[in-house]
Amino acid sequence: FILMLSLALGTMITITSNHWVTAWAGLEINTLAIIPLISKSHHPRAIEAATKYFLTQATASALMLFSSMTNAWSSGQWDITQLTNPPSCLLLTAAIAIKLGLTPFHFWFPEVLQGSSLTTALLLSTAMKLPPTTILLLTSHSLNPTLLSTMAIMSIALGGWMGLNQTQTRKILAFSSISHLGWMTIIITYNPKLTLLTFYLYSLMTTSIFLSMNSTNTLKLSTLMTSWTKAPMLNTTLMLTLLSLAGLPPLTGFLPKWLIIQELTKQEMTTTATIISMLSLLGLFFYLRLTYCSTITLPPNSSNKMKQWSIKKPVNTLTPTL
Amino acid sequence: FSWSSLGLAFHRTHLISSLLCLESIILSIYIALSIWPIKNQTSATLMQILILAFSACEASAGLAILIASTQTHVSDHLRNLNLLQC
Repeated sequence: FILMLSLALGTMITITSNHWVTAWAGLEINTLAIIPLISKSHHPRAIEAATKYFLTQATASALMLFSSMTNAWSSGQWDITQLTNPPSCLLLTAAIAIKLGLTPFHFWFPEVLQGSSLTTALLLSTAMKLPPTTILLLTSHSLNPTLLSTMAIMSIALGGWMGLNQTQTRKILAFSSISHLGWMTIIITYNPKLTLLTFYLYSLMTTSIFLSMNSTNTLKLSTLMTSWTKAPMLNTTLMLTLLSLAGLPPLTGFLPKWLIIQELTKQEMTTTATIISMLSLLGLFFYLRLTYCSTITLPPNSSNKMKQWSIKKPVNTLTPTL
Repeated sequence: FSWSSLGLAFHRTHLISSLLCLESIILSIYIALSIWPIKNQTSATLMQILILAFSACEASAGLAILIASTQTHVSDHLRNLNLLQC
């Protein structure tokens, strides 16, 4: 329980910081608090996920400290909102991209999500993304827009393509979060409020998916197919939240995509807007496959017995109706 | 700093070497931050102590992870970390 508390503490420290060292300290507290959570079960996969996570996050933190130091050398101050040195801005975007899991540096993310249990994976993909996005938001007026938008387009592309051949649900959710992060960073230099909106809606949808998967304990696609026997109502709400995550129009997930495309066309970047909406079709394919597997098909030997579950899930019926 | 980061990026085997490179990165940052107030006649000593404390915590966490990985996997070679591939 202390670990959750220190996670919240680290996030709060990073959000309310205006000096680089406090932001770095909050990020380090988060990293340190999540490492025992990942490696709680002494399975070799969990330990391996913890090592990969620790290495990547520690290098990203060190890079961030170094970029703030070079900025302080050239401009003489440690304020977060004033980044005047272009190489340090570049290093800072690279460091935050490593922390978030954007595209040139996304290689750790699916494996770490796969190696951790479902609730810690939930924490990893929603709560741990919050402090780096707040740092991005605070410094968004002085970052390089072309670099950010190329990284975002590549991450949407990669998130869609690499999710196509997966059978483990945690890896699928990892790739979906990579592509959603791409949607978030593409708008950050033009309208940071949309980034926040996307982040909130994305975290809401992902928490409901993770919690519903946690209660039926589905780790593979084949387990998804037999999950309708355990709790039929949960299955239908899972289908609705998955489609909302994909961004289909009558559901809530369409809202950030629509607003982002509108903002991009206002900024005369219509080719970018068409490219990212085409690439989100790739993600749509595996979301559809997930819903198809979970609700429409019947397994070869259908067993209609009800197994027991242990976690309450009334939250899931609320989120698709948002 | 750049030598340490290159060493971290190109570690072939032995996780211990990557942990060493992380420590040398933080140490180089610390030394550079210590030299800076002497040149500009400002004082930044609270920052230094905070950075040192957090980097020590990170190093100890890294060592704990190293011990755990050598307990579950047989050695700490990087070839053995392929349980989670696609």
